[in-house]
Order: sequence, then structure tokens, then C-alpha cells
Amino acid sequence: MTTATIDPTAVVAARPASARVWRWFGRYGALLVLAILVVGTSILEPTTFATYDNFINILNQSALSAIIAMGLTFALVTGEFDLSIGNVASLSGVVCLSAMVDQDISIVAALVLAVVIGAVVGLLNGLVVTLMNVNALVATLGIGTVAVGVNYAVAGGTPVGLPDPGSFIQLTLGRFLGIPYPVYMMLGLAAVLWFVLNRTVLGQSMQAVGGNPVAAQLSGIRVERVRVFAFVICGVCAGITGILLASRTGSAAVSGGDSYLLAAFAAAFFGSAVLRDGEFHVIGTLVGVITVSVGFNAIALIGLETYWQYLFQGLLLILGVGVGSLARRRAAAA
Amino acid sequence: MTEATALDDPTVASVPAPTCLEMTGVSKQFGGHQALEDVSISLSPGRVLALCGANGAGKSTLVRILAGAESADAGTIRVHGSEVSIGAPQDATRLGLSFIHQELNLVPKFTALQNMAMGADRTRRSGVLDLRGLRRKALQVQDRIGYRVPLDARVEDLTVSDRWMVSLGRSLMRDATIVAMDEPTASFTKEEAERLYAIIDELTADGVGIIYISHRLEEVLQVADDVTVLRNGRLVGSFAAADLDLGSLTRHIVGRDVAGVAHRATDVDPTTAPVLLEVAGLTREPRVRDANLTLHRGEILGMAGLVGAGRTELARLLIGADPVGSGTMTLDGAPYRPRSPFDAIRAGVALVPEERRSQGLILRNSVSSNLGMASLKDPSRRSRTYSPRRAAAIAREAVARFGIKATSVHETVGELSGGNQQKIVVGKYVLAGPQLLILDEPTVGVDVGARSEIYDIIRDLAAQGTSILMISSDFEELAICDRVVVMREGTITASVPAARATKDHLTSLCFGTADTAPSDPSALDTATLTAERDPS
Repeated sequence: MTTATIDPTAVVAARPASARVWRWFGRYGALLVLAILVVGTSILEPTTFATYDNFINILNQSALSAIIAMGLTFALVTGEFDLSIGNVASLSGVVCLSAMVDQDISIVAALVLAVVIGAVVGLLNGLVVTLMNVNALVATLGIGTVAVGVNYAVAGGTPVGLPDPGSFIQLTLGRFLGIPYPVYMMLGLAAVLWFVLNRTVLGQSMQAVGGNPVAAQLSGIRVERVRVFAFVICGVCAGITGILLASRTGSAAVSGGDSYLLAAFAAAFFGSAVLRDGEFHVIGTLVGVITVSVGFNAIALIGLETYWQYLFQGLLLILGVGVGSLARRRAAAA
Repeated sequence: MTEATALDDPTVASVPAPTCLEMTGVSKQFGGHQALEDVSISLSPGRVLALCGANGAGKSTLVRILAGAESADAGTIRVHGSEVSIGAPQDATRLGLSFIHQELNLVPKFTALQNMAMGADRTRRSGVLDLRGLRRKALQVQDRIGYRVPLDARVEDLTVSDRWMVSLGRSLMRDATIVAMDEPTASFTKEEAERLYAIIDELTADGVGIIYISHRLEEVLQVADDVTVLRNGRLVGSFAAADLDLGSLTRHIVGRDVAGVAHRATDVDPTTAPVLLEVAGLTREPRVRDANLTLHRGEILGMAGLVGAGRTELARLLIGADPVGSGTMTLDGAPYRPRSPFDAIRAGVALVPEERRSQGLILRNSVSSNLGMASLKDPSRRSRTYSPRRAAAIAREAVARFGIKATSVHETVGELSGGNQQKIVVGKYVLAGPQLLILDEPTVGVDVGARSEIYDIIRDLAAQGTSILMISSDFEELAICDRVVVMREGTITASVPAARATKDHLTSLCFGTADTAPSDPSALDTATLTAERDPS
């Protein structure tokens, strides 16, 4: 979007140097964290970390989180929340695998089904929020809980496994030019979603609604319709994440996707501090997810215990968002 | 001390001081603007003091100083004889001052009792609310004013006047001895207003001093014992209500300063052009009642009125931002009933809203993104894509056309001056290509230079055939209009040709006292209005 291209020196020309430093820090601080992580781990583990294979591995590890988090970004951009994405991912995996087992549908049909499930739940979220005027946190919590119920009704609470998962597993294990398919999917979706958000009327409307809903409405933007679209995009991404997750093991657990909820929020919020002043955007979210993956990868390679992952992710979120917000306030006050 | 005794004995009849409130020599400056200069008022227990003045006379500033929302540059405040400093709203409450604003400060989801209990000191020593005690006290308060609002009803389910009574109840729960009421009857029916007058009698009999702010001068003369008139931030005088009549009060409010004669930009008379918008019997209770309006192509129509007369509410109906209760609108000969601003803008009707920062702009976004917001869907282009380069090019053109001063179209609008921000809001809607542009107070908080540039934009648009409806409380600026209508208490009460739209005359019409105003006979205006109502 256009704000990113502002020449910061033109804006703060009249301000003291400290304001410029803070402003720089607010904008590039999050990227600095990623750079420090990469450089630090490269020095500590030069033979295992700083390799091409590990780089691809990190991207592959990021793919599913990135897809669901980029979808969530759309809800956040319009000023809403979506707490149902984890449940939608679980539901999508279970329903698609059940359909493959029971109805013998093809992998392509299952992918389409995943998209449809995500879209339907997203639509429901959007309608409850706009038509019934329910707070998004409550609405998506409710719809998400209903999705859990449907999930159990379909699967009976036990994991659904494919008798012959070989070709389905290829969806996530297969490689083209040595790079796993999920990496292509992540980058392809990132390109599409970036385009939607930054180069379409719909995306501009979403940013306007998130920026000031009253001004957007008085400017002739159909605020409610735009919000519904955001929820649908969010749901679709969660649906896709769910089926890809099932493909990793060839079976779908009833709560398999639930853990993605908090990871996606953490990545999107950390990403809001990347390059922009606290605005959610697709590239930022992608950087957020990759930063988390790099950290996890480093923790594993250095040989630290698993609990370090939680410490790292929590601290990263607080530092990324907190320091960004502090830096903006300092820049404004200076 | 006073608090404790007041708790036990809410009548406060024992206060020895002759006045309960005295403000002396109060001055306040905002930027370069002298909002108040050496103003003094005095209120005695058991009396009603009305504060009168036109828009911007300084009444609100004075009340805000009293409430601790602003601090005075100079002057003293005495409450019950002793000098006090009111630095924060809590100080005012502690001193027994209470304020009932037009926007009632209630929690809609709470019950009447919960709302009344807020701020009343009724906790047990353990910190637990003494619910039974609060209810008893609330009932006492209601007995005292002789009117009962169901205590367990949620405030959002109450009528406007009952909500007001809850607000008053809260003041009395806090043992207020001085109550300021700002336009209490603005949304009241006649019966509700009568009930309020009776309650005021009860309160004053109890020794409560009341500051009464109202634009309805008949009401002021009926309710008040004393009247203090302000004009342009200065004290005109304090009078006994019994010595005033409508004519003299209006004269005090308007003053003798004669406004410059209206001058128009065009030689042709746009009021003979074809009609673009026809509004008949438009109603949305409580603020808009049976409003009628005719607007011609290329005409600049001014709309005068007092704050709260319903002008903004009417404008919102015209763009579909609020649902219409009843009445019809015709645009260009066809029925027009927008359900949202989206419909309105598609039909070519746009509103430049009153609050530019909260309703007009996305402050953290760029000049170019703000300018493009109302024309994202360009009907001349099939594509639904957005090109930042194209948007920037359009924005650059607009920046030049409207004289917006920014370092680049990528500058954040939050960093610009008020005048430039306003030009962006106006420009945003001009870029949407409206055939009717409504502007709600377009020059408030705008510097003189930007102001005249905004007038130029308006004149240019009208010259190109766009119709303009300009709502303004600055009656001098209505000089750029071809015709001015006056809105009063929800309806259009007069239509005045430009030549006769002087500040004095419009002010009298706004107060509904034109008949008694000495300078201008208003027969002609009434005739014009009748003609307008009857499409012949």
C-alpha cells in the first residue's frame, strides 16, 4: 500500500534525531530480530543451520502456519478477529478425509471440498458479525465451537486415516525442482493474497474499513459486505491448511489444526510490526511466520529443550509488538 | 464535611452563602481565538440561571470550565462562598456540581438504578455495594422530583426523556446542589418538557441552583429567574427574566453588529434552474420532523440553524446513513430512497461529514489513499483492480486543483493541518463526481486561507452544474449561497433569498423570533416557504 512508500525523512524532517531513530526502530526492528537470529545461529551452528537444505526446510516448516496466518491477516486488516480458524482447519481435515474414505472422492475434489468448508464457515462468521451485530470474538468463538461439534459428529472423535495414503501424502511430501510443494503453495498464495489486498478495489476497501469504518461507510464503501469477504478469505485459508495438515501424515485428528490458532495470531501481530507502523499486511505476516520457524529451527539445532520454543514464541510476540508500539510512541513524542 | 451533612439531609437548605456559584472574570483562549473574555456569572440557591447566546458565544466553554473539562486562563470560581479550583471532573462532583449534557453519559446496558448508582458513595466498609441502600436512596430521589422511572429497566429500553431523568437522578444521588442542564428539552415532546419544568420547580424549592442552557427562548423566559447573555465570548449582561421579552432577549443575543451583505458568484439565478432534489415530509424522530426542501441544479443552498436543530440528522437521511421514518425524496424527477451511502454516491449524492478526523479521514493513511476512498469503484473502468500509480496520479492532480499543501501525495494525512485535511475530505467527494454535494460545517476549525479555497471549490462546482447544500453555523459564510433555508426543531421553517440572508435576520429565524425581531419583517420569507411546500 501507498503508506509504505512514504519517504520517512520528508515526514520527520523537522524532528530531532531521536525521533528518527525511534521511527526507524519501529519500522525495521522486527526485521532486525530476524537478522540477529539468522546471523547468530549461523555463527553457532555453521554446518547445520546455514545450508541450502536447511533454508528450504525452514520454508517448508513455515508453509502451513503461513497459509492460515495470511488468511487471518484479512480479518485483522478489516478490524475483526477470527478465533475459529484452528477449529476450521481441524474440521476441514476430518471432513475431507472422511469423504475420501467413505465416498472415494479424488484428491482434487477433496481440495475443493476443503475450500468450500472454509468458505462456508467464513461466510457464517461474517453474517453473524454483520447481520446479527455480534462481536467478532464472540461470533467466531461460537461458530468455531459449533465446528468442533460437527467435527466430532463426522469422525466420532477418532482420527480418520486413509487405507492407502501414498498419493495423498505426496501433496505435502512431493517435491518439484527439489523444493516441497507446500513451499510453492505458500509463496503462490502469498502472491495472490498480496495482490488482493494491495491491488484490488476489495483490498483497498478492506484497508479503509480497518482504518476508519465510519469514514469508509460515508465514502460509499459497503462496510458489512467487505467484512464478510474478509471472513470468507480467512476461512478458505484455514480450510486449505487443514487438508494440507492431514496430508502430512495421511490421517486427520479431530483437533489436529487447533494449535494453529495461537501461532497464526502471534505471527500476524508480530508481522504488523514489520515495515509498517502497526498495520497488518501479508508480507509482514509471512516474515512473522518465518521468524518463528527460524527460531524453532535454531532451538532444535542448538539442542535446547522443547519448552524453549514456547519461551521464544511468547517473548518474540511481546518484543515485536511491544517494542514496535513503544518506538512509535517515542517517535511521536520526540 | 458538607458531603457528610448533605448525605443525611439532602435538602441543603442550611447553606448560609447568598450565592451558591460565582464565576468572576473568566477568560479562555484557544489558539489565537478568544473563546471567553472576562465573563462573570452568579447563581443563587433555589434560582434558575439561563445562559443564552448564539452558536459559538462561549456558553459551552464556560460550562466546560465549570465541569473541570477545561481550565480557565484567568478568573475565579466560588462555590457556596469559598474559592475553589476545579482541575478535574471529580473536583466538580465533590463540590456538588452536576452536569447533564445533551449526550447523556449513561451506560445503555445498565439498568436505571445501576446508572444512578454510578459515582454515588454507597459502598459498605468492606467495599461491597450496599444495593438495598442504593435502591432506597434512588426511590427517595424519585419521590423528590415526583417522577418515577422503572429502576430495573435497562437504560437502552427507555425513552429519551426517561434517560434524561435517569441522568438527573444520578446527579441527585450524588447530592448535587448545582445542576447544569444543556438543552434538556431538545428531544422532548411538549408534555415531557412540561414535566421537566415541574421538576425544576421542585428542585429549586429544595434550594438547588440550576444553570439552564437552551436555544428555545420562550422556554428560557418561562423557566429562568435570571438570564445571562453571552456574545462572541463576552458578557452582554445579566438580566432578571421578568424584565425581558422575546424581542429584547433576541436583541441582546444578536447584538448590533451588522453582517456584510450577501454576495453571490453567479449572474444567472439558479433558483430558476430545473429542480434536482425534492424532499417532502421527511421525518425521523426525534430530530427530523416533516422537513421539506427543494434544491435546484447548480444552486448553492445554505442551511442555517442552531446546534441540535436537526441539520446533520437531515443530511444523514439524504445519503441513506440513517433509515428514513416517513416522507419522500425525489432526485432528478425519480424516486430516491438510498439505503446506504453506497446507494447515495452511486446516485450522485455525497456528504462531506461534520467531523473530518473521525468521519472523513483515515489519519494514518496517505493523501492519495484518502483522496481515492470515495471513488474506488470507478464506473468508467470495468476493472476491479487498484493501481497505486494511477491513484497517485489522480491524487497529484487533485492536490493541485484543490490547493492541498502536502510534501507529496504519499504523506500521512494525520500530519497535515486542519485546513488541508478538510480540503482532502471535500476533494475526496468531489472526485466521486456528485450531482449533489452536501457539506456539513465545512469550515469549522479551518484557517482563513483554506476557508476561501474551500469556498472557491464550492463555487466552481456550482458553476459546473453541481448542486450544493451547505450546512453552516457561521452565518456570515452563508453569503456565498444563492438561498438559505432555516432549520429549527427538526423542520425547515424559512427560506430566505441571498440578499436578505443577513446574520441578524438568520439568527432571529433560528431562534424562531423573527416576528418580534425589530429589524426585519419576515412576511416575505414565510411566503417563499409556503410556495416551496406547495409545488406549483
